[in-house]
Amino acid sequence: MWSNNIQAQNCTFSLSGHVVDADVKEQLSNASVTLKEINTTILTDAKGDFIFQGLCAGSYTILVQHLNCKDYTESIDLKKSIHLDINLPHAVNTLGEAVVVAQKEKQSTGFKKEISGAELMSKNGSSLAQALGNINGVTLLQTGSNVAKPVVHGLSGSRLLIINNGVRLEGQQWGNEHAPEVDPFIADKLEVIKGVDELKYGSDAIGGVILIEPKALGSTPGKSLQFNTGYFSNNKQYYFSGILEQQLKKIPSFTYRAQATYKRGANSTTPNYRLNNTGNEELNFSLALGIRKTKWNSELFYSFFSTKLGIFTGSHIGNLTDLYNAIAAKQPDSGFIGQNTYSIGRPRQEVKHQTIKSKTVFTIGKQKFSALVSGQFNLRKEFDIVRTASNVKPQIMLNINTLAEDLQWEHPKTKNLKGTIGLSAVQQQNTYSGRYFIPNYISYTTGIYAIEKWTKHFWELQTGFRMDVKKINTSRLRINNNFSAYTFNFNTYAASFNAIYKPTGFYKTNFNIALSTRAPYVNELLSDGIHHGTATYEKGNIYLKPEKSVYLSWNHEVRTTNDRLRFSLLLYHNPIQNFIYQVPKPESPVLTIAGAFPQIQYTQTNATLSGTDLAAEYKLSNAFDYKVKLALLYGRNTSAKDWLILMPANRLEQELLFKLPDGKKTKETGLSFKWTQVARQNRVPSANNIKQDYKNAPAGYALFQVGMNSTLQFLNLPVTVFFGVENIANTVYRDYLNAFRYFSDETGRNFTLRIHLPINF
Amino acid sequence: MKTTIKKIMKSSNYFILGFFLILMISSCKKDTVQEENDEEIITTLSLKFTPVGGGAAVTYSYDDADGPGGNAPVKQTISLAANKQYQVELSLLNKTTNPVTDITTEILAEADAHRFYFAPSASANISVGNLNNDGNGVPLGTTGTLSTTTAANGKLLVTLRHYPGNPPNKAVSDPVNSSKSGTDIEVEFDTVVL
Repeated sequence: MWSNNIQAQNCTFSLSGHVVDADVKEQLSNASVTLKEINTTILTDAKGDFIFQGLCAGSYTILVQHLNCKDYTESIDLKKSIHLDINLPHAVNTLGEAVVVAQKEKQSTGFKKEISGAELMSKNGSSLAQALGNINGVTLLQTGSNVAKPVVHGLSGSRLLIINNGVRLEGQQWGNEHAPEVDPFIADKLEVIKGVDELKYGSDAIGGVILIEPKALGSTPGKSLQFNTGYFSNNKQYYFSGILEQQLKKIPSFTYRAQATYKRGANSTTPNYRLNNTGNEELNFSLALGIRKTKWNSELFYSFFSTKLGIFTGSHIGNLTDLYNAIAAKQPDSGFIGQNTYSIGRPRQEVKHQTIKSKTVFTIGKQKFSALVSGQFNLRKEFDIVRTASNVKPQIMLNINTLAEDLQWEHPKTKNLKGTIGLSAVQQQNTYSGRYFIPNYISYTTGIYAIEKWTKHFWELQTGFRMDVKKINTSRLRINNNFSAYTFNFNTYAASFNAIYKPTGFYKTNFNIALSTRAPYVNELLSDGIHHGTATYEKGNIYLKPEKSVYLSWNHEVRTTNDRLRFSLLLYHNPIQNFIYQVPKPESPVLTIAGAFPQIQYTQTNATLSGTDLAAEYKLSNAFDYKVKLALLYGRNTSAKDWLILMPANRLEQELLFKLPDGKKTKETGLSFKWTQVARQNRVPSANNIKQDYKNAPAGYALFQVGMNSTLQFLNLPVTVFFGVENIANTVYRDYLNAFRYFSDETGRNFTLRIHLPINF
Repeated sequence: MKTTIKKIMKSSNYFILGFFLILMISSCKKDTVQEENDEEIITTLSLKFTPVGGGAAVTYSYDDADGPGGNAPVKQTISLAANKQYQVELSLLNKTTNPVTDITTEILAEADAHRFYFAPSASANISVGNLNNDGNGVPLGTTGTLSTTTAANGKLLVTLRHYPGNPPNKAVSDPVNSSKSGTDIEVEFDTVVL
């Protein structure tokens, strides 16, 4: 026992290895070997050998990559110096003294796009949606500058599952003005996936899954501290974020991580005026505890998210006449602009979201089991503009509590076949107080799924299915001032098939077909009330049936032998049966004391979303890099033979990067210049059918952005600094997907400074 | 083998611990939120007309007792005598609460952020004037004087505008569709002068 502990304190171990091409039995030189936890990559020498020295005891993930071979990943519990023999591409377990804890598979799925590392860091202090917006094919659905939801290939809200550290986010996705309740600082990596792996999270991922992935616990030996701070000039926003992680010396299998974020922004400004009451304030923290043993590991996680978001005063609309007046005005009234303050008044939103999770993974023989239990507690308060200033209460308060249990069994690889079977259950309770919007309800969902994966040579085939049974009991439902109750039962199912073919290291193709079914949400079934942002009366529809989608995606990735050119092309086609959307009912306006409100009702149609994401990267020289991204989407309402409303417009992004040589005290210095062009959305519903919009889509626009980043040595610490200017030309524009395009311009020029400081003890 | 089982036991203990933690937290929370917050609904607008120089007062109202949605509102026709002057007194109620809330007092308490406008149609043979003011000398309009001429049918549009700005910046010259204010009430009554 004691000798173990003493050994654990020594950081003198080495991890060496030898890499061989399994097919031609040739030593592989210049294969890159990465130890993720210490963020170090080395190349194998001419004989295919590599060595890492001065390592502490602990768990490591090794990643071996070579141009001509498949990537190889292995988790290693390092207790003494070891040597690995690695055969690429066929991984064979000849690991000597190493103990395999968990072979973390790459998500092999229909398509996967991610943002991580420096790219993610360069979005520090932004919201989750803004960070995801860097991914090609992801756009933002906004309500002003504060509230943003990610849109993937035209779909958002409840059609996109957000998985926060393994827990499916059960927040309040009732409308476009409800942003996901997640602190992006938790993440080490943000991923968007569509395909087979989504079956683990639900049968309703019609638009795909967003994975918010923190670094694996216990992946950093010793003690480390990370500090982030920054300032944005446009809304005088500042943020601080700290992450402390420690692997205990006396108990090397135990790790904890504590993380906290605070940010605050004042009113944001457009090129010509500042918008009153657009400030924001956010305080988040989380704590994770983990134990990693040879046969099992366990994790306990708690996170707290709280935000206060101001909503532009000029967007609170009393009735339809007011809306027409506001739309007709060239700029908001002088009473709604010009205040330069951090204080947030009415209207505003206050949201708190707490998550607690316990996950245990253990192996019996070669069988792997995992059990996950989680609880989520979400409280949302909306403060409208009120007649009496003495009223400090929210006008609407929604409380959602969710418990979820997941059991998973992973059977070992037999004859190229590997798979997972899982069982999941969710219990959810919603209560409201104040203005009626959705009823109280209790829902129960039980699901079962199975995924199998077959790999051989250049092929990887994966398939799976899932079934969920959902029961919703509603109560306190208001109908003509009486309270009533409804019960709904939905059975939803999903199935997916994916094929990857990778004949060489230079080409990879991926074909996926995914069937998903989404049961209607309570707001779609039973909402009833005035929506002040759009001066409409929203009504649910109890006759809605589940949406069904058959998503086809075909991805190609090509690179040249010298790696100068990388090219990827994603084609997708997503027909959705019973697509739920809101349709105006001009024949039955709702009469109120404030005038007649147009009624919009949830209804169903058949729709197709087809499009392409194209990305290319060309190294002009060792210093210059050119990147281009193009995203096109065609959203059709096939039943009405018309376009769908609120679909992202064509988007083209070009970026020129210039890498400067390392100096004495500077490393990884780069300059970037980005040009984003967004076309006018011409594919909007025809006014000849039912008029669905109050204002025509705004003109297209182009934005310029510069960025500069460098890692400086400051007091022997590597300080990474990002400096940037967004919307350099201070362009006046409005975006089709921002609900505030009725009222105000988008924000103007913004100087940003971000500082990242890691300290390892 | 024994140690393996022991370890698994240990891990399941951990798992159970986590589960109970969640149960504890969830049981702390109240089952239902019963407290009703102020919905800020106005259901009823009443206009009381008292003839100048004596006579019985008459009251006409717009009434949507269950608030927006649900049952349709009931609107009475304002019927007044020809060539007469009336003292008008306006009152607002919220009938969705129990007891019924008098909104007029709320309006009076924040008179500098509210303003009523009375717009009779040209053919109504009605004119409204002499509206009361808020503390800053800007019209509020919870009381006023209405004069009729000869017999006619027409309309009277009553609008309540609310100034959300801080300070409200309400000014005498603000038109009914001022971009500084928003609409809380917009009711068009049918009028008959007999």
